[in-house]
Parts: sequence; structure tokens; C-alpha cells
Amino acid sequence: MTADDSGQPNRGKDGRTIFNVDRDKLLEFMKGMKEKGYDHLSLITGVDRKDFIEVVYHLHAVERNEYVVVKTTTNNGVVPSVTSLWSSAKWEEREQYDLMGIKFEGHENLKRIFLPESWVGHPLRKDYDLGNVQYINMDSDGEDYATFDEGDGW
Amino acid sequence: MQDFIEINFGPQHPSTHGVLRLKAKLDGEIVKEIEPVIGYLHRNAEKLCEMTFYADNLVYFDRMDYVASMLMESGYLEAAEKILNIVPPERVLWIRVIMNELSRIASHLVWAGAFGLDLGMLTPFFYCFAERDKVLEVFTEICGSRQETNYMSIGGVYQDITPGIVDHIEAFLESFPKRLEEIYKIFVGNDVFISRNKGIGVMSREVAIDYGVTGPMLRASGVNYDVRKAEPYLVYDKLNFEVPVSYKGDNLARFLVRFEEMRQSVHILKQAIRKIPDGPFFNPKAKKSMMIRLRGDGEYYARTESSKGEFGVYIVADGGVKPYRVHVRSPTFKNLSVVQELAKDQMIADMVAILGSVDLVFGEVDR
Repeated sequence: MTADDSGQPNRGKDGRTIFNVDRDKLLEFMKGMKEKGYDHLSLITGVDRKDFIEVVYHLHAVERNEYVVVKTTTNNGVVPSVTSLWSSAKWEEREQYDLMGIKFEGHENLKRIFLPESWVGHPLRKDYDLGNVQYINMDSDGEDYATFDEGDGW
Repeated sequence: MQDFIEINFGPQHPSTHGVLRLKAKLDGEIVKEIEPVIGYLHRNAEKLCEMTFYADNLVYFDRMDYVASMLMESGYLEAAEKILNIVPPERVLWIRVIMNELSRIASHLVWAGAFGLDLGMLTPFFYCFAERDKVLEVFTEICGSRQETNYMSIGGVYQDITPGIVDHIEAFLESFPKRLEEIYKIFVGNDVFISRNKGIGVMSREVAIDYGVTGPMLRASGVNYDVRKAEPYLVYDKLNFEVPVSYKGDNLARFLVRFEEMRQSVHILKQAIRKIPDGPFFNPKAKKSMMIRLRGDGEYYARTESSKGEFGVYIVADGGVKPYRVHVRSPTFKNLSVVQELAKDQMIADMVAILGSVDLVFGEVDR
């Protein structure tokens, strides 16, 4: 794999090519990758590096059996959504929004996938307080809300 | 304006294989739109892994895909051993392949039995579970547990495979192919089964790849992709086996692919059981380090072929005794997301059949 304009590839411990792409150029870069035959978006994940969040994409060209990793970073937790390119991003991005708190700009249905909608915080963040126990309640309209006091139920 | 009836499937519906809720919009008996609601079994295993030592994390992986726990364990160890720079001895790799394939057979049998149940066939369920129990007996003999085996560990396996166990597996391999064909005949000899699956839930090659579907479901849509061949791990490159592919893309194709996979697993097992080399079953460095806590560094993504599809484990280490971040690429999570597409404009009874053909295990979807 040769060096690309928008990202300098290097190799990880697992021997896979890694492209570090700027967040503003991500969507453009991904479009180019899709045209190059990377038709399978294998996974999206986030790593909380404390001062910034690293978003990792694994792309796979099924026919040629090529596998590359694309990484981008974000300070404010916002990255462009790639749902317009791969449908598998729909749930993957919802999962990362739910657990890691990454907001994917342009995702049409960005809501929590595992946790209740009213959950406070994103558990995979390093600053998430595990000692703060939450209780999810339901009000008379059937909407759920979170409380931090076990005696505050209905 | 058209009126739709909205109904809830689950979370406690027997045909949802666990705790899945489907919000379905119906026009008469035709499904117009479904929205799967998941998360009822969510434990956030990824966060739990960050809080536990590398060796102890295996427990959470056992409980992900609980019908194929050996496959989950070897998937995690593929990544964890690279992070910890521990190389398992040659004998261990062969033992792991044997356990993986036994687990794959057990998992596919559970699927076949449950799939039959979804379609109103009770008999094959008992046949499948009787055979699966023979696999679980092997697991009990080797590690004392049936489902959540916790057999493999960093740098090796918990107990060596003795000649008695080899005989036990060989006896199973002797009797199983015949029983498998019997089970196969119960299914395909049933006209109702064929007519309820043929041409139902057709998934094209493009849709499958677009949604990130992997495993038997992808191969039933005409893509020859198996991680065991594409990126061989353990000793799969030294074994001779074929990857079954079907081009129909319907429920029946998925059924046929999974049955052929079981036959191929038997084929792999027969080769592997004869080829196990002598040697230690544990890397001595790891055994000592169970006490002194191993430190890992770097980041590694390992993908393996579980019975459901491509199972990937991504570990980021920061030099500490616990992983900094663990991400699990769950195959069923993606395979489930495509159901929205497949069940559109189908009969409600067919939706259940399509859902059954996906092979859902919620421990893995929700993690």
C-alpha cells in the first residue's frame, strides 16, 4: 500500500496498514477507499485517550482480501458519519455513541442501542463514575428517566 | 392514509432466542417495517475487561457466545497472547483447533434444533441436542464444565488432552456423521420445511457485504470468505478443508451451508486428532506469571471465525496489568441488523423463519 495524500500509512503490531486521517478529511478519504473496493466496513470503535478520543475503522476488501485500519482523532467527540457509504455503520455508530459518547454527524437515527435512552453518561469513557449507581424509572406516560437514589421510585 | 398495526415481538417471545424485542409495523399479515430493540442482556463486558487482569478476562468471553464458548476463548487469546508476548507451544494450537471445531459442531446443532422449533418441528430438536450432549460430554471430561468451559488460558490450556479423551473424541467422530445425515434427512425430507425456507429471506451478495454480515450467512449469499482461509490462525493452514458456499441466499441456503460446515468440521477433526504433536500443554512462562500478573503493550486486533461469523477482539494495552481498552466485534450484532432489510414486505410467519436462520445468541449481541 502506497502513501496517500490524506494519510500516512504505518504498520501496527498486528501487521495491518494504518492510515491516520484528519477528521475533516475523513469522509472524503472513506469515499476514496470505498471506490478502491473496500466494500466491507468491519468495525468502528473508539478509544478514550483521556485528552482526545481515537476513532478506529476497519475496512476490508472482500474480493481481494485486503484489510486496512483507518484512524482519526477528535477533541470534542464529533466525527462525520459514514452511514452514507456502508449500512453496517448504522448500528456500529449507535453502539459507539451509546458506550463511548462519540457523536456521528449526519447519522439519521443516532440514539442509544444497548442502554436506556435516559441513561446518564457513557460507560466506556475513562471518566465515567462507576460508583454512581443509576436507576431507570418509568413515569406515567411510559417515558423512562434516571435517578440516583433508590428510594426515588414510583 | 394507510393504517398499520404495531405489535411487539418479545422480549419474552420464545421464537426470539433470548431477549430480543421487535417493534413490527403490520399491514394485515405483511410486515412493513421492523425495528429490533436490543440491550436486555447488556453487561458491558468491554468495561469489565478493562477492570480485570488479562488472564481473568477469559471468563467474560465464555459468557458471550455461551453455546460456543471455546471459540470465544480462542478468539480472545489470539489477541491477548500477542499483547502479552507469550507464544503457546505447538501442541496447544492443535488442541485448540480440536476444541474449536467441536464447539462449532455443538453450536450449529443448537441452531439447527432451535430453527426447527421456530418452524414447528419438535423432533429434530431432540436429535440435535442428543448429539450436542456428546460434545458437551467431551468438554466435561476435559475441563469439568459443559457450557462455560474456561478451558483455555494464556499460553496454553488448563489440562492436557489424555489418550482417554482422544478415544472419546474418536468414538464421537465415528458415530456422529451417520447421526448428522439422519438429522439432515429429517429436515430436508419434510416438505413443509422446504416450502417455508426455499426462496424466503433472500439476501443478495451486495446487501450482505454492505451490512457487514459474515459467517455462514455471508457464505450462503455467494461470498467465499472464511477467516480460517483468508487469514489463517492457529494451525488451520496445515489442515485440509473446504469452505461451503451457496449462491441462493435464502433460508434454505443458510441451512445447507451450516450442515456442510459440520461435515467439514468432522473432516478437520479427523485430521487434527491424528496430528497432535507431543510436547508441553502450557508455556511455562505463562504458568508462573499467572501469579505475578503479566504486563502487555501495544495494540492488537485478532479476527477468528466463530460459528456465527467473524469474531474480532481488539485490545489496546498501556503497559499495565489490565487492558486499557477491549473491543469485541460481534458477528451476530451485524447479522441481526440485516434482518430489518430481509423481513420487509414478508409474511409475519416468514419473519420468524428469517430470524431463526440468523443464529442469534444474545450473550454475544449485547455483550
